[in-house]
Amino acid sequence: MMEKQVSATVNLIFEGNSVTVPAGISVAAAVLGHAHAQHTNEHPVDMTNRAPYCLMGVCFECMMEINGKRDVQSCLVEVKEGMVVNRQRNPQESK
Amino acid sequence: MQKKMDVLIVGAGPAGLSAAVEARECGLDVTVVDEQPKPGGQLLRNVEHPITQPLMDPKELKMGLDLVNRFYKSGAVYLPDTIVWGLEPHKAYCNIAGEQTLLTPSTIIIASGAMERPVPFPGWTLPGVMGAGGADILLRCGGTLTKDPGEPVVMAGNGPLLLLLACHMLELGVNIAAWLDTGNWSKRIMSAGVMPTALFDLGYMGKGLKMALKIVKGRIPIIPGVDNICAEGDGALEKVRFTVRGEERELPASVLLRHEGIIPRTHIANSMEIEHKWDNLQRCWYPLTDENGATSIDGVYIAGDGAYVHGGDVSLDKGLLAGIEAARHLGIIDDKEAAFRREPIAQRMRRIRRGRSYLDYVFAPNPKIFQCPDETLVCRCESVTAGAIRQAVRDGYTDVNSIKQFTRCGMGHCQGRMCGPGLAEIAADAAGMGVDEVGSLRIRQPFRPVSLKDYCDLNTEQA
Repeated sequence: MMEKQVSATVNLIFEGNSVTVPAGISVAAAVLGHAHAQHTNEHPVDMTNRAPYCLMGVCFECMMEINGKRDVQSCLVEVKEGMVVNRQRNPQESK
Repeated sequence: MQKKMDVLIVGAGPAGLSAAVEARECGLDVTVVDEQPKPGGQLLRNVEHPITQPLMDPKELKMGLDLVNRFYKSGAVYLPDTIVWGLEPHKAYCNIAGEQTLLTPSTIIIASGAMERPVPFPGWTLPGVMGAGGADILLRCGGTLTKDPGEPVVMAGNGPLLLLLACHMLELGVNIAAWLDTGNWSKRIMSAGVMPTALFDLGYMGKGLKMALKIVKGRIPIIPGVDNICAEGDGALEKVRFTVRGEERELPASVLLRHEGIIPRTHIANSMEIEHKWDNLQRCWYPLTDENGATSIDGVYIAGDGAYVHGGDVSLDKGLLAGIEAARHLGIIDDKEAAFRREPIAQRMRRIRRGRSYLDYVFAPNPKIFQCPDETLVCRCESVTAGAIRQAVRDGYTDVNSIKQFTRCGMGHCQGRMCGPGLAEIAADAAGMGVDEVGSLRIRQPFRPVSLKDYCDLNTEQA
């Protein structure tokens, strides 16, 4: 019972590159399962590369920068046409 | 926006949707909030999506679509993309698609479901290591686990999701290099004693056997009696090491999927100080509820796997019963009507639960799975090791909340969702105490991230 016309795919800009993914899936699923990003963020404490573990909102390892906003749980956000998605990196320390 | 309602249902999975439909039939004003953009929770995740449907069991798909359609037609207010960050009797602090809102329900049904038991092991934070549920979600979204289809995937653990995932992976041609079984065979043998009760629910056992047969036909190398699983790699998973009967083995792998059973999500209930009980066989805390989902707080109910993990169809029934009970509690239906509505549902639910009691033994977690070396990261968010927890115990702290204060374990974004079980098991083992004796992390709202401005705005609105 969908009111809007939903296209079968959506284009994201992931790390500066255009990626075509199915509509109606989460950003985390798109980035991991379709764009094969392998890791989605840099851990703020131990600096290691991390990737989503649960994909359902529990682990908080999927936080990415979406349309300029940081700390977004990408597994809870549905992909939208033109969404700008970047891996979350730690702020660089000023020298 | 309607802020007052008879019942607020937190969660649009099988239990929440079912409760909504029944509560509407009893004449209640119902609002359902859910963090996901579409209904279905986890068991019926993306049930309306053409990419997911081919992977679902046809009976389950039919049931799911039917439920979702009845929900849409029920007249319940549905608020997807909604994060509940605080909950009290009659107060729900929500972020509704970006807008902070305080809802004031007369009764609440918490139907936030269950999660995979998080078990820390060396290397579990490496990219390439995931929970079985996470992998299934990727597959259900039309994705693949590896960039190159031939790359090896290793499954490990003990629990129902592994069966389902193995079947999905076989269907999709995933290269399953091995299934490392960490299960406890003595407990499984004990399940034979309870097996006759399976007669009460042969359909379910049939479903399990069909999956098992597919797996046998798929010729997945199954290695039983596995211990000391370690994930290794430089920046990402490259291989899995483990021991079998003391012998060390290793397998190259691009992906490792670990599953050690399913436990109720108790975070919200804990924050409301609802009474919980420890189940020593399933090794998890669960909220104390009666058959209708009533908790130790009047007017607050818990329905579905969040009350206790019994599976999807039982969740539907728990939802129905909670909906009826909320209506009876508010006096919208009388005791006689409530009894009339609930009796056939309760009978069916009791029969099914009896018919599956053997599963409690088959999938009972092996306590050994929590034994891990000191350098293992237990708290993923704050990078706190097992060694740090053991040191805190040696320093005299034997309650998990004190250990949290001194190690930071549980202080990160996930608020202990991922490290709570591990923290308790490791602390109890180090202290020589029962897992229930070391307590559980005290959860406080906001239990989801919220900005200070939004928090204050919402709280001063009422002043």
